[in-house]
Amino acid sequence: MDMKRSYYKDLRLFDTLPLGLWLCACCLVLAAVPFHVGNYTLYLLGYIAINVIVAVGLNVLVGYTGQISLGHAGFFAIGAYAAVLLVNAGLPIPLALPAAALIAAAFGLLLGLPALRLEGPYLAVITLGFGLTVENIFAKTPAFGGATGPAVPAFTLTLVPGWSREQNLYLLIMLLAGASLLAVRNLMRTRVGRAFVAIRDSDVAAACAGVDLTWYKTLAFAVSAFFTGLAGGLFAFHLGQVDPTTFNLMLSILFLAMVVIGGVGSILGPVLGAVAISLLNLKLKGLQLADFEQIPLFGPSIAGFLGRNFMETGMANIQFIVYGAILVSIMIFEPLGLYGLWVRSKRYWRAWPL
Amino acid sequence: MDWLVTFLQVVFSGLAAGSVYALIALAMVIIYRTTEVLNFAQGDMAMLCANVGLAFLVTGALPFPLAVAAALAFAALLGACAEFFFLRRAKEPTVLSLIIITLGLEMIVFGFASWKWGGEPRDFPIPLSPADVLVVGGVIMGHLELATIGIAGLIIAALFFFLARSKAGLAMRSTQQNRAAARLMGIRVRRVEMGAWSLAAMIGCIAGLLVGPAATVEPYMMWDPMMKGFAAAVLGGITSLPGAALGGAIIGIVENLFGFYVSTAFKSVVPFAVILLMLAIKPSGLLARHYVKKV
Amino acid sequence: MLKQTLKIGALAAALCATALPAGAQQLSGVTDTEIHIAAWSPQTGPAAPWGAVARGTAMLFQMVNDAGGINGRKIVFHSFDDQYNPAKTVAGIKELVEKEPGIFGVASGVGTSSGLAVKDYLMERGIPWVGPAAGSLHWITPPQKALFAMYPLYADEAKLLTRYLVEKEGKKKIAIFYASDEYGENGHRGAVAEMEKLGIKPVAEVPVNQADRDLKSHLLKLKESGADAVLMWVNPTHAVITLKTAAALQFAPQWAVSSTLSDAALMNNISGGLWKNILFASFGELPDANTPEVKKYRDAFSKYAQQGERWGVFFMAGIGFVEPMVEGLKRAGRNLTRENFIKAMETIKDFKGIMGRVSYGPNERQGQREIFLARTDDSGVKVTQLTPWTTVK
Repeated sequence: MDMKRSYYKDLRLFDTLPLGLWLCACCLVLAAVPFHVGNYTLYLLGYIAINVIVAVGLNVLVGYTGQISLGHAGFFAIGAYAAVLLVNAGLPIPLALPAAALIAAAFGLLLGLPALRLEGPYLAVITLGFGLTVENIFAKTPAFGGATGPAVPAFTLTLVPGWSREQNLYLLIMLLAGASLLAVRNLMRTRVGRAFVAIRDSDVAAACAGVDLTWYKTLAFAVSAFFTGLAGGLFAFHLGQVDPTTFNLMLSILFLAMVVIGGVGSILGPVLGAVAISLLNLKLKGLQLADFEQIPLFGPSIAGFLGRNFMETGMANIQFIVYGAILVSIMIFEPLGLYGLWVRSKRYWRAWPL
Repeated sequence: MDWLVTFLQVVFSGLAAGSVYALIALAMVIIYRTTEVLNFAQGDMAMLCANVGLAFLVTGALPFPLAVAAALAFAALLGACAEFFFLRRAKEPTVLSLIIITLGLEMIVFGFASWKWGGEPRDFPIPLSPADVLVVGGVIMGHLELATIGIAGLIIAALFFFLARSKAGLAMRSTQQNRAAARLMGIRVRRVEMGAWSLAAMIGCIAGLLVGPAATVEPYMMWDPMMKGFAAAVLGGITSLPGAALGGAIIGIVENLFGFYVSTAFKSVVPFAVILLMLAIKPSGLLARHYVKKV
Repeated sequence: MLKQTLKIGALAAALCATALPAGAQQLSGVTDTEIHIAAWSPQTGPAAPWGAVARGTAMLFQMVNDAGGINGRKIVFHSFDDQYNPAKTVAGIKELVEKEPGIFGVASGVGTSSGLAVKDYLMERGIPWVGPAAGSLHWITPPQKALFAMYPLYADEAKLLTRYLVEKEGKKKIAIFYASDEYGENGHRGAVAEMEKLGIKPVAEVPVNQADRDLKSHLLKLKESGADAVLMWVNPTHAVITLKTAAALQFAPQWAVSSTLSDAALMNNISGGLWKNILFASFGELPDANTPEVKKYRDAFSKYAQQGERWGVFFMAGIGFVEPMVEGLKRAGRNLTRENFIKAMETIKDFKGIMGRVSYGPNERQGQREIFLARTDDSGVKVTQLTPWTTVK
């Protein structure tokens, strides 16, 4: 948007002062939320924030380093299981969560190794296999709780005395989400971030310029896995239950969709994508035939046609059609995702009325 | 020699399962070669065609060959529409956005099929009964399994001749090698791409029609075969058709051997271990030419 | 720059200072004319056939309302689709409980993991829950004051089937084919425990994944073990594939299956006529039974049910699991509070609807413990009851 005229301007954390102030205002509003709303809204916001952490982490890998991953549900699962098992073993929550994230990062490092030689569909299949393997191992091993999953301990960390459990958890999730966003933004301003972007643009040229591909590619996987594992640990406490079948291929695809729909290669993009997809996930409800009859003019004949030719019991599946249609339309009409829409509207209004 | 009979039995079963994976892998490879898109909607498109075939067979009361032909015609139309309305509209397609488009298409197809026919499993009646078997030297070969292997083989052979000898096949190969040059030579590339999707959808339809009678017809029937088919396509090299067929056979056989001799719990994971091993040795797949990237 | 900063600051301060009404107090879910009851079920997703459970409950409540309601109140049924995903279950339940007018109680609810995700939330608020649609031990260990379980334990069904196979049919080599999820593992454990008591061991224990569609290696393993009877704890699709693959491998043991596969007409239909001579357990009256209650609901079905609905075991389960709740609501009387309701539920003894006999008590939270065994004949459709209603010790 605004042209950067000096190197140091490019490095600033917030591009302009009003942007920084808007962000502070957002933080204040989010902090004030627990005083005003009930458990459901806290749950919803927490769910969105967890998805934001995952999306931002996945964006480091997919958006900034140009790799692909269809197995991030595996890191999510590793983070969730590790956090629960560590807390069950006696570790306090403030230590267990980072430890779980680091364990996930270690697996990320491992998964990064095949990435060194593979690209595109090949890498996609390997990550897909990783996700499936993790899900299978967790579901079949009695030590991890088998098909039911381990018992999740109660969330006993009190950040603000006097607040309820849900409010404390919400605060923790928001703090960590904010910290993750800050961390990734910071990372991208450093040498490591620039190495990631160089690898995305052309890894051969980057290697020629002195970027150690082995180190940086595996680091990208590890960083992305770290954030996803952290989110996984938070998710275990947020939901209160860990079930191995939740961490399936569909979840990995959802994570990828969050990043791509939101807009790869920016910080705001994954946030927008995570918010959009989380809301679609939790809010999209099925319709009834009676809803179709409400359509003016053609309503009853449409309802009649649908009733005769489609299964009324299967009507809840309309949500899939809507979901798919939204994904496709965003990708077709705005390849840069929701962030692209945002930038375009900013540009339009800035130059208005030209 | 009992162990040999058992071993051959397992291998035969693996081959039958692998034939379905090979068909899906072929479909994915055809699309990838011509339009450079990983079609994640392949499985559910096949499921939709199987449902349509079942509808023609049961509700429409068509004789079996006609119902199959109708399903194939529907598949061709579905593939063409998918390419025309979904893939072609993408403005500046990157790999990721194309994947998301195919995923969106998959959700739409899945939602539509679940809405129209419901989530309950249904039977696909065919002229063959599951109890029809041919016993050769102790190895029991079901007629349906033999038909699966035979049909897959026929299609592979037919595809080979089509691509190698016919004009349309030549057009497909040249579009894949150099799109701009093919256009300059007078080949209608857009039509070729649409044709590739139609062809792939038809092959997927056949896979669905083979899975339906062996299992049940329900919305999730093609999820697992599609994953294995994708794995098979990559194993064989995503741009190689014989590789796809070979990959399918290998995955089917290895999976069944592992499931029988070691453990059925981790059966689904073994194909990926195989691929990992294979890609570590040959990064571009079994039969594909080595992946050369212009810098 | 300064103007912008000031504008943003003012906006933020205003938002923080807004005092929205705090929704902290407990909502009762009962008004003068309405009782609000919630349920979740997988209307879409891999477990979509189980969505019929919530639709059955909806029909039951509709019938109750049309007959005048309960003590002058009508039941408002909030049923939502959770796609078998616990995150959605929690979101749906929290939203319903915290929005006016709240939720009085929860009826049925399909899925062990979905149920476990909301169990603590509901129990903390004392919201009664009747008839979780899963035969898991988690509902009653430890017993909760407000949780009234209905579905007989999967493990008990497995025990009864095993006992019958060994004692009445003289089978010695029994194999177990089970889904690798909560449902299958419960059945597996029950069968193994019973076999230990009878002094034998299973000749094969073969798990199967939900997504698997190729069961040839599983069946080969079962065949090679030489089993003369196989206990099946899988979902309907896998059961059908198993029978087809077994026919192709010329493997014909005595199949003994769980109550989720007890819908003989459906199973025979989708397996193309292969459902012959299957021994199964049942937790409720069979769909074509002629007891007065079953007839009443079957007749109502043709009037109330949606197009495409099938009169089968899952639909009936939705009715049968919730009948005790309706009975409890009636007994609680006009002064309907959660405590009164729980006390009323505890007075239910030997209540018989379309399931088995249901009894609760001050310390008893597993309502139904009895099941019976039946078998299909050579046509695959006619069913003969083999044992009376039996409580498994």
